[in-house]
Amino acid sequence: MPAKNFLRNGFWIFLCLLAFAPWTTRAQSREYQIKAAFLFNFAQFVTWPPTTFADTNAPFCIGILGDDPFGSSLEETIQGEKVNGHPLTIQRYRSIQEITNCQILFISRSENKQDVLESLKGKKILTVGDSDDFLKNGGVIRFVTEEGKIHLRISLEAAKNADLTLSSKMLRLAEIVEPEKN
Amino acid sequence: MSFKNIPIRKKLMAVNLLISVTVLFLTCAAFTTYEIITLRKGMVQGYTTRAQIIAANSTASLAFQNESDAADVLNAMKTDPRIMAACIFDNTGKIFAKFPTNTPDSFFPASSGKSGYQDDHLEIFCPVVQGGRTLGTVYLQSNLSALTDLYRAYAGLAAMIIASSILVAYLLSRTLQKQISVPILALAQTAQAISNRRDFSIRAIKIGDDETGLLTDSFNQLLASIEERDKVLQTVNESLRAEISERKRAEDALARERNLLRTMFDVLPDYIYLKDEQSRFVLCNNRRAEDNATSASVDNLVGKTDADFFPPEEAARFRADELKVLGGTPLIDKEETLVRPDGTRQVILTTKLPFRDSSGKIVGLVGYGRDITERKQAETKLQAQLARLELLNRITRAISERLDLRSIFQVVIGTVEERLPLDFSSVCLYEQNTNSLTVAGIGVRSETIATELGLTKDTPVDIDENGLSRCVHGQLVYEPDISDSKFPFPQRLARVGLRSLVFAPLLVESRVFGILISARRQPHSFSSGECEFLRQLSEHVALAAHQAQLYDALQEAYEDLRQTQQAVMQQERLKALGQMASGIAHDINNAISPVALYTESLLEKEPGLSPRARDYLTTIQHAIEDVSHTVARMREFYRQRETQLTLAPVRLNELVKQVIDLSRARWSDMPQQRGVFIKMETHLAPELPVTLGVESEIREALVNLVFNAVDAMPEGGTLTLRTKISENAPHFVQVEVSDTGVGMDEDTRRRCLEPFFTTKGERGTGLGLAMVYGIVRRHSADIEIESAIGKGTTMRLNFPVPATQITETGKSMAAFTVPTRLRLLIVDDDPLLIKSLRDTLESDGHFIITASGGQDGIDAFRKAKERNEPFTAVITDLGMPYVDGRHVASAVKSISPSTPVILLTGWGQRLVAEGDVPPHVDRVLNKPPKLRELREALAQCLHSNES
Repeated sequence: MPAKNFLRNGFWIFLCLLAFAPWTTRAQSREYQIKAAFLFNFAQFVTWPPTTFADTNAPFCIGILGDDPFGSSLEETIQGEKVNGHPLTIQRYRSIQEITNCQILFISRSENKQDVLESLKGKKILTVGDSDDFLKNGGVIRFVTEEGKIHLRISLEAAKNADLTLSSKMLRLAEIVEPEKN
Repeated sequence: MSFKNIPIRKKLMAVNLLISVTVLFLTCAAFTTYEIITLRKGMVQGYTTRAQIIAANSTASLAFQNESDAADVLNAMKTDPRIMAACIFDNTGKIFAKFPTNTPDSFFPASSGKSGYQDDHLEIFCPVVQGGRTLGTVYLQSNLSALTDLYRAYAGLAAMIIASSILVAYLLSRTLQKQISVPILALAQTAQAISNRRDFSIRAIKIGDDETGLLTDSFNQLLASIEERDKVLQTVNESLRAEISERKRAEDALARERNLLRTMFDVLPDYIYLKDEQSRFVLCNNRRAEDNATSASVDNLVGKTDADFFPPEEAARFRADELKVLGGTPLIDKEETLVRPDGTRQVILTTKLPFRDSSGKIVGLVGYGRDITERKQAETKLQAQLARLELLNRITRAISERLDLRSIFQVVIGTVEERLPLDFSSVCLYEQNTNSLTVAGIGVRSETIATELGLTKDTPVDIDENGLSRCVHGQLVYEPDISDSKFPFPQRLARVGLRSLVFAPLLVESRVFGILISARRQPHSFSSGECEFLRQLSEHVALAAHQAQLYDALQEAYEDLRQTQQAVMQQERLKALGQMASGIAHDINNAISPVALYTESLLEKEPGLSPRARDYLTTIQHAIEDVSHTVARMREFYRQRETQLTLAPVRLNELVKQVIDLSRARWSDMPQQRGVFIKMETHLAPELPVTLGVESEIREALVNLVFNAVDAMPEGGTLTLRTKISENAPHFVQVEVSDTGVGMDEDTRRRCLEPFFTTKGERGTGLGLAMVYGIVRRHSADIEIESAIGKGTTMRLNFPVPATQITETGKSMAAFTVPTRLRLLIVDDDPLLIKSLRDTLESDGHFIITASGGQDGIDAFRKAKERNEPFTAVITDLGMPYVDGRHVASAVKSISPSTPVILLTGWGQRLVAEGDVPPHVDRVLNKPPKLRELREALAQCLHSNES
């Protein structure tokens, strides 16, 4: 039977390759649309220390460091939204130095995360990334895509270092990891 | 049963229960409704809350698109079985997660629905909001089992509550309804009782002062007034009833009375009738009807008149009478004599009264007739009877006044002859022995006929075969016609013209002693009443005659009785005298005892007694003996002579001598005082045979004869006493007492032996010769009396001589040797007697102890016995005060039975004679005691003791 199984499996793989190949780009954008929504949702489930905001009308800023994989989906997501009365703004940062007042920072795969994260130590910023060793380098939340679904991995230590309080609801959905492990 | 009719108790309870249940039900319903509304609201709220929780918990899942987590959250719904389904819609309305997971999507409604109850379930929609953003919607669907469970629970609870409440309410109302129902029921019961018993005196009992109490009060007041009215009603009722029953009774009584009256009316033997103005019968009783018409009844008499039954002239007479009555004059007790068709005469006593109607107008007459025919006849008979009775009465009265036969007969014949009347009447006496009749009386008018007949007084008449013979056998003989009689006596009577004849026997104790002869010239002229009258008359005459005879006998008997009574009275007198004499004798005997004893002792023992003293003493001794004999004779008065004589040999010659001595005072001393001399001669036959008799009695008889002889010679004369052997009868010895005195005539001689016959007047008792005669007869002897007036009298007693000559066996004193030195106890209450006895007996050489009374004597005897010096013999007096000789004797014998007891008594002869020798006494000696007798007695007693 192995020959037969093989033939059947190979056929299906083939068909799948044929089907997905033309849609890779579109899949890419779909993934980040979700990630953009997630970024926005983090603002709902994470509490920043009060000192983060100068006043109640101070903007809540979601920053992207490095290459912007979201396109316009992030903007679409936050349009017309507010977080606890704070208006939402999106900042795209090219370098780390540009980061001044930012609450959520997505660190693109393009960046050297170790450095970045090292430099962000002590700042009240929720760092989010999707690279493999993101948490190891000191990131707080990492997107993990498994079986077509995006999961969260969270380093509580990093969150604590950034003086952030993460909602238990969110933590229930996420995988809590130690930074050394991954 | 409709509600109106159920009892008030149940009604009250039902109302109570209905109210309680209604209220309770409404309460429960309201409460339940409220509860259900609240519950529904609460359920919505609860599920909304639950949906909100799910929503809160599913924000992160929605935000981070984690379906499994959302499914987990929904899965928590499984704890609630009522939740049928649940789901979470995302903000696009797409189902994000569902519960249970296998529920098809089509089951769920659109996400835009509204919360609320659907048909059989509850839907809840709840938005999922995070930070002001709506992430999706939670949907819950629950079934209504909670509600239905609750409904059920409530229903059960309500049912329980209602049930228990009803129970409690029932019990409470049951108890509490009494507050109202009891008084009412009591009232009702009272009313019931009243109506049942019709007793309005019952009163309801008041319970409390509420309206029921008021009701009770008014009820009672009502009752009171009813009771009062009831009483009035009852009284009225009673009186009405009484009136009715009274009337009923009256009616009954009336009916009864009418019946009674009619019956009585019919029963009456008299004629009672009612006639109208035309003398027609309107009403009559049975008697009247039966009498008048042959086939009569009450009915066919009505309407008829007397003219229909009686001859015209009689009817006219009746009519005339009745017209007077109708005119208003009553006819009272008119005697009417009617001749009945059969020829008999009838006497009717008629009374007719006018009969008036209520207005007083005379409308008829009431007649009353009594048949008095028989009464009339009876009256006539009665008259005759009465006349005869009166005659009988007269005759009876007349003869009852007469006691001699002849005058009785004369009265009877005379009256009968005149009054009956008779043509001939006679009484003949019947002599049974000769069987002949003697004419004892003839009527005055009958004299001529009697003379014709040759029948005069004391003429004997022969007894005929017929007629008279029948009559002398006690029958009344009636010969209606003797004209052709065959018998001689009737023929004799017929010859002188007599025709009818009645012989009536004179009967006494069924013995004919005479005949009453009645005759008339008319044949058949004696009616049965006259025959009966003659029979009765003959009975009366017989009785009267008999009474006359009896009267004579009675007279005789009375005379005898009178004499006997006098004799008895004399005897009683003598008895009293004798008792007195007996007492005197006893005292004299006691008094002379010492004299006798000393005299005898002196004569016997005294040495050197001068001849003169001896002579004197001898005379004293004789005198004492005389006294003793005199006393003994005195006792004879009283003594009843015993019929059995203890005969002893008697020497008549000696007796004669004694008699001369004893009577000396009478024939010698007393006549001499009067200057009269009586010469005493004695001619005693030598060798006279001994005869048997009682010496004292014969002596007494002789003394009596001597006294009589002396009395017969008041001028003196010769008194001769003679004994001889009878000349014509050799077995008799004779004692003669002859005097030369006045003598007796024949009559006196005949009667001289009768008791109480005396010639001596008051001086004599008339008993002397009678006593003599009695003594003589007892000795089988007889008495001859020879007397001639002026010559004197000889009384001769003839005593028979027993065939075998008796040899005298008198015991001589020598037969007994009297021991000396005896210890003797003498008991007597007379000290003189004691002393004399002691002296004389001591002089005999005896040792004497004396005691002055019975008890002393007994004590002395007992002491002596105890001292072992017993007495040889005891001599005791009989009559002593307290303890007498009998007691002493019995005491002595009880102490020492062998010691002889000699009783000394003034009554001695009497005791022996009457067989009254007391027990325990060996010998009885008379007072005055003689030494000789004492010695003899002692010797005998001791001798018999020794033997």
